[in-house]
Amino acid sequence: MAWKRDDSPNPQPEPPAAPRPMTSAPPPPPAAEPTRRPSERATIGPSIFIKGDLAGEEDLVIEGRVEGKVDLKQHNVTIGKNGRVKADVFGRVVTVEGEVDGNVFAQEQAVLRQSGAVRGNITSPRVTLEDGSRFKGSIDMEPKDLGRASGPAPGGPRREPGTEAPANRIANA
Amino acid sequence: MSWFSSHGSRDKKKEHRPTAETEPQIHRSLALTALLEEFRRGRKLQVLDLGPAIGSNVEFLSQFGCKIYIEDLYAALSARAGGGDGEEAGPEFFAEFLPRSEAVSFDVVIAWDTWNYLTRKELGYFLKHLALFCQPGTVIFSLISILKQIPAQPIRFRIVDEQNLAYDVRTTALRPAPRFAPADLNDLLRGFRVDRSFLLRHGIQEYLFVKEGERR
Repeated sequence: MAWKRDDSPNPQPEPPAAPRPMTSAPPPPPAAEPTRRPSERATIGPSIFIKGDLAGEEDLVIEGRVEGKVDLKQHNVTIGKNGRVKADVFGRVVTVEGEVDGNVFAQEQAVLRQSGAVRGNITSPRVTLEDGSRFKGSIDMEPKDLGRASGPAPGGPRREPGTEAPANRIANA
Repeated sequence: MSWFSSHGSRDKKKEHRPTAETEPQIHRSLALTALLEEFRRGRKLQVLDLGPAIGSNVEFLSQFGCKIYIEDLYAALSARAGGGDGEEAGPEFFAEFLPRSEAVSFDVVIAWDTWNYLTRKELGYFLKHLALFCQPGTVIFSLISILKQIPAQPIRFRIVDEQNLAYDVRTTALRPAPRFAPADLNDLLRGFRVDRSFLLRHGIQEYLFVKEGERR
């Protein structure tokens, strides 16, 4: 019971040297290492130029230049204010604050911020264009409820239930 | 960036760059209400918006599940090589502005007031090119000013709801309006008929043109 523990005369009887074993204790096993938290994201810095396709399993912020497909369908992709992408971008939520010269496929939402510019087509169930943003191309949205219930597009691949986001259809085609 | 223009004026000499500080005015749009009937036909429409990209319009139209092509005609004219002041845009310009694609055919064209910023000759070139993307039943929504002078830059129209448009006038500078008469428009829009036309009290005539022929 708790009150008994409180009554113990010396709950911490270790001598001052006690912390020493702590420092010499073996490091925690690798499994105990903190894993990358979902909020963490990789960043391509402003001085980086990548020519080639990008894929991964974590969120990505692009502040540099990328010439090649950015394929993170299950993760969020942000093209920062300094970011320049010359290729198609696939992501769950794609946010453009810099420039994209290519098509954007977002499974959940595409956001074109005020500072952003896209020349290409946007395919996403939700598209947000902030005032002042620059856009040239087409926007393809499915109705929010219809997108869940509709069947495959003519000639398109068969969809599994719950995986019918337009970006997936196109990306997997 | 190079492939986007700044939204400057085509008529820099006349413009003094003052900006309008007033709140957008809201006007009832009977043609908009009629246009939206087209969106309720149940099929996925291909829509050409000739104005700037405006988020609230995209959001409003998204409820209909259409595919929206945004091609800012005025911005493209403003960005023409050499500034384009004093020179009319020719057929080549419009062919480059809207490259021909067999896969693209528009069901709805939302021109807003952009035609007021073209000369009669330019509008003729543009409409001839636009007709390549139209099919029987294609609807064009256009706002033509009957006033002698119009804002030096196109008004930004925001769809408030199914009956109202917000007019966001971004400059107090004015320029002469071409004042296309119904006869002019009939002549320029061969193959189209005026489906609806509403003259509004503030000097805007709303038109819905429909491409003649049997719908596919």
